[in-house]
Amino acid sequence: MINSKNFRHVTNVCVSLLLLRCMTTEAKRNRAARIRVGKGDKPVTYEQAHHPHHIGHRKGWLSQHTSNLKGEDGAAERTVEDVFIRRFMFGTFHGCLANEIVIKRRGNLLNVCAVMLQKLPPQKFYFLIGYTESLLSHFYKCPVKLEIQTLQDKIVYKYL
Amino acid sequence: MISPSVRSLKNMASLMVRKRELFSLARILSGVSYLGPASLSVCSGHRKCNITRFHLPLTPSTSFHTTVLTSAAQSAITVTEEPDTLFQKLVVLVKGHDRAVLDSYEFFATMTAKELGISLGKVFEPPKDIERLTLLKSIHIFKKHRVQYEMRTHYRCIELHHITGCTAQVYLEYIQRNLPEGVAMEVTKTAMEKVPDHILEPMWKEIPTDDKPSQ
Repeated sequence: MINSKNFRHVTNVCVSLLLLRCMTTEAKRNRAARIRVGKGDKPVTYEQAHHPHHIGHRKGWLSQHTSNLKGEDGAAERTVEDVFIRRFMFGTFHGCLANEIVIKRRGNLLNVCAVMLQKLPPQKFYFLIGYTESLLSHFYKCPVKLEIQTLQDKIVYKYL
Repeated sequence: MISPSVRSLKNMASLMVRKRELFSLARILSGVSYLGPASLSVCSGHRKCNITRFHLPLTPSTSFHTTVLTSAAQSAITVTEEPDTLFQKLVVLVKGHDRAVLDSYEFFATMTAKELGISLGKVFEPPKDIERLTLLKSIHIFKKHRVQYEMRTHYRCIELHHITGCTAQVYLEYIQRNLPEGVAMEVTKTAMEKVPDHILEPMWKEIPTDDKPSQ
């Protein structure tokens, strides 16, 4: 669900108001950003293994900006920008992303931090990084910096 | 670091520009050294590419980083006749979602103030604000099943007393350059002005023979 990914800055507390008398309907469990426990063969990263209510406690924020603070505005625009940047990065570096993208905003500067797998030769990486930076900075009219780290494989936290 | 109390501003713009260069250099250097042990060739090569790619539009720091050292040697301390603004109180309120980040930022700000010799007032934590939303869990029907979200805003307040305009400018610029992402700052300055001469003495002492206005 895109909703919970974009509201990473928000902690999610679920309250279910099911009447106890009524036995026919089942409790609607939350399914947002959760990978359900299965056979034990599915590798899962730290980010994916923890549920959204652990944000701020065991997880950090994927998108860091000030528009969701009290008395600040611009939350909707930042969210839309974030969605676009995530989809853009997912498409440009297809199959190379090891984990979710972290977007940080400091003043005018947009910092996109990502961990990549070493699937492409470095020259192609350089080209894609330069292309992404210049395209996004022309599109958003602000300096966009990409901070990339590469790994051999995805880091598995546990198997679900 | 030259003590800011020695500096007086003759040409405020050029001096601020030079300070910004110094600080941007410090930030670039600290940023590059922070990236250090990111082991792989792609990353280190990218670091160099990153610096050359600083010629992106808009930020003033882009054109400065090549000329920082020469300008630092040229910056002279100038003395002006115009009196500096005096601030009785400078209140810096930082807001953020993460309390740990605000803790470390408070440590940084108080350490800076101590190093610069600025007298610190109270450093306290106003109570947090929680904004809660209760929304429908499902896109269609199921009114009884809702989901609650909350947004927490933590605050930290740092008060500085008896500070001059130049010092305040330098301190605030340094603090704001190193503001972490996701943290907002509000600054309230209380300036002190000299009492105007015409109200120093009460009027009835100066002109005793003045007729009272018609009532």
